[in-house]
Amino acid sequence: MFRYVLKRIVQMILIVLAASVLIFVMVRVTPSDPIASMTKGKRISQETREALVRQYHLDKSQPEQYLIWIKNAIRGDLGDSFEKKQPVTTLIADRLPTTLQIVLMSSILALLLSIPIGVLCAVHMNSAVDRILSSVTLILVASPVFLTGIVLSLIFAMKLRWFPSFGTGKTFVENLRYLFLPSLALAFSMVALIARITRSNMIEQLHSGYAQAAVAKGMPRRTVIWKHCFKNALIPVITVASIQIGTMVVGAVLVENVFALGGIGDVLISSIKSSDYPVVQGITLLLVVLFALINLIVDIVYAWIDPRIRLE
Amino acid sequence: MNKDKYSLFGHRPMIKTRRRKEGRLFTVPMVISLVILLTVIFACIFAPLISPYSPTEQNLPDSLALPSMRHLLGADKVGRDLLTRLFYGGRTTLLSAIGVVAFSVVVGVPLGLAAGYYGGIADVVIGRVCDLVLSFPSLLLAFVFVAGFGRSMANAVIALGIVYLPMLIRLVRSLTLIEKNKTYVEAAGSIGYSDARILFFHILPNCVSSIISQITLDLAYAILDLASLSFLGLGVQPPTADWGAMLDEGRNFLLQNPLLALAPGIAIILTVVALNLFSDGLHQYFEPLQRELPSFDKVEKRAGKKKEAVYG
Repeated sequence: MFRYVLKRIVQMILIVLAASVLIFVMVRVTPSDPIASMTKGKRISQETREALVRQYHLDKSQPEQYLIWIKNAIRGDLGDSFEKKQPVTTLIADRLPTTLQIVLMSSILALLLSIPIGVLCAVHMNSAVDRILSSVTLILVASPVFLTGIVLSLIFAMKLRWFPSFGTGKTFVENLRYLFLPSLALAFSMVALIARITRSNMIEQLHSGYAQAAVAKGMPRRTVIWKHCFKNALIPVITVASIQIGTMVVGAVLVENVFALGGIGDVLISSIKSSDYPVVQGITLLLVVLFALINLIVDIVYAWIDPRIRLE
Repeated sequence: MNKDKYSLFGHRPMIKTRRRKEGRLFTVPMVISLVILLTVIFACIFAPLISPYSPTEQNLPDSLALPSMRHLLGADKVGRDLLTRLFYGGRTTLLSAIGVVAFSVVVGVPLGLAAGYYGGIADVVIGRVCDLVLSFPSLLLAFVFVAGFGRSMANAVIALGIVYLPMLIRLVRSLTLIEKNKTYVEAAGSIGYSDARILFFHILPNCVSSIISQITLDLAYAILDLASLSFLGLGVQPPTADWGAMLDEGRNFLLQNPLLALAPGIAIILTVVALNLFSDGLHQYFEPLQRELPSFDKVEKRAGKKKEAVYG
């Protein structure tokens, strides 16, 4: 077990390092003048220009710049924003809680909605219930997150006025109300996929030998479904759900945009538009590391549950 | 699909019905989805013939006109007919989505074939590159790509093409692994055919069915993801429009004319749902074994559950 965990951690570090090189190369590859984006085209004196060049290490070669960036990043310093003249870490720290709360709330909502739907569809396979629920989830997955968000805000915020239509509250509890519609919109896009996986795995389990044996000996329906089959159907569901939580971080960018929430995604997009490279690099690196950590945790939990995986 | 064969309860009759259904490509959902897809495609191709308006010419007196005989769905902020914009936007969206899939097929299929057929170092290198791309959660890589290479539809298309590569490479690789040990490949090799000929004329045709149902699904995802990029302002640049960008413009006028945002949204949903159904239909046609399984109620009945209830 220990060897397996160690191996996965080393793999994770290597892949994150490779990803950091890719991020740096992609962001810096095109020849553009970072000073221009810092000053927004204003004329500056030669001295100021040289000072800025030195401050952001722009006089060094690209590989040296990369090394400086990644060394500082490991120490927890992602450099300063070109535009806002603030450390990138402060920018992130201010906005990360909102994004994380959206991701947390929508993953809980998504699981609460999708697993019962998936099990229900599996048990009543090919019935009217199954068909209707499957079509509803199909439409939900085909609807882009931002459209779901717009429709929800049109109905529940603008017409019915049950929820605020934009902005965030000050505390976690206040945010439960402010972030409910954004989280619901994000959750809807995940429900279909998780429900589908749950359904197909449950069908497989319900048709397995042990389930038939349990039914034949007269075990109550509920026990067969939830205690025996559901447990066995759960592992692939966890895999998909964990990958989905990673993609939710990116989905959060979209709902933050619709509901003007000022989370991390808003900053990312506006920095891309204004060529504020340190911020783009910093946020991207952070998201890649978070994603890798989620995958690592999931893999370790698997290996712990299922010995076949760690012996592979 | 061994499960079918060894299943406890009479799959024999099922096999008969299956044989009857086999070879039916045009099931009800398939016909519906084909009709929707063909309508959308024709409307986009023949947009200049159907619509009397220009998609870009401004007509300020009609600004934000509500639906009427003159403008069937109303007009946008600068008086452009919404339905016309919808047709022309569909052109951009569909063409770019096809571009994304074409890119990932042209690059991904040869790489997947090579990785599967040669194994060894080629396989390891290609596998690692895929891991690297997959270490970015969903659209994040596309964001960074666009940040570095500039905001335009062409870049968005290439970026998404790269994001979709790993899935296709892995699919083709796994199919090739199965095919390469079959007798026909050995025979082709012993006649002295070149590797390229064996890969593209012998192995590839045997993998085509799975690849096709995968790329129709990718096409659906590409439409959604392109819409997301355009919505965030990272895809098409004005005055060109696609459905995502139209949604972005329309959401500012939700209370005046919700159709401005909803119409492109509905267009996206319809097309994506149709593509999903189409892909499902193809998949079922190519792999008929997955089609029919009895529902859990029937399983219970066969296991004698209902009878026992009567006695109890």
